[in-house]
Amino acid sequence: MSWREVAALVLVIAGGALELLAVLGLCVMRDAYDRLHYVGLAGFGALLVAVAVVFRESFSLIGDKALLVGVVLVVSGPVLVHSSARSLLRRELGEWDKKADELEVEHK
Amino acid sequence: MNEWQIAATVLGFALVPCLVVCVVSDAPGALPAFELAGVLASTILVLLSEGFHRQPFIDLAVVFAPMSLVGALAFARLMESRIEETGAADGKPR
Repeated sequence: MSWREVAALVLVIAGGALELLAVLGLCVMRDAYDRLHYVGLAGFGALLVAVAVVFRESFSLIGDKALLVGVVLVVSGPVLVHSSARSLLRRELGEWDKKADELEVEHK
Repeated sequence: MNEWQIAATVLGFALVPCLVVCVVSDAPGALPAFELAGVLASTILVLLSEGFHRQPFIDLAVVFAPMSLVGALAFARLMESRIEETGAADGKPR
């Protein structure tokens, strides 16, 4: 077993463990806002798996595409969390950002 | 069964709690489970493509990752207006 295969194995285990941790957190948390924290964590697990593929295959076609998927998932995680939290907040409170702007104008 | 296929199988079983949360929880609580399931499915496709040395699987992952983002954003946007409670897209009762 070469050092590249060992590194890939370690990275796959680490990435899988991160994703399992994210699923565990999703199940344990009761509130939607608490659960949203674990969506971003799972993206980093996917990136570790993608890096493991690159270690095994080097920068071949499959390695490049795996890395692309990992980067997309890591970048999209915070975007998804932010937009979901904003939607949930607007669902609860209505258009709270416009109300805040109106209050600011009245205050001035 | 190599290590990639084992990891894909384990993560496949990890999809079950996400499905359970989606079914049991209310709509806001189910949204994070839906988003997490998309990330898990993309990772599983990457692992399967490496495990079986089949390039088409990773093409699926390349397509699936941005599409799950778009789908989750659409769900989040639609969820703002309480459609399932009021039946009206503007949030007012019918």
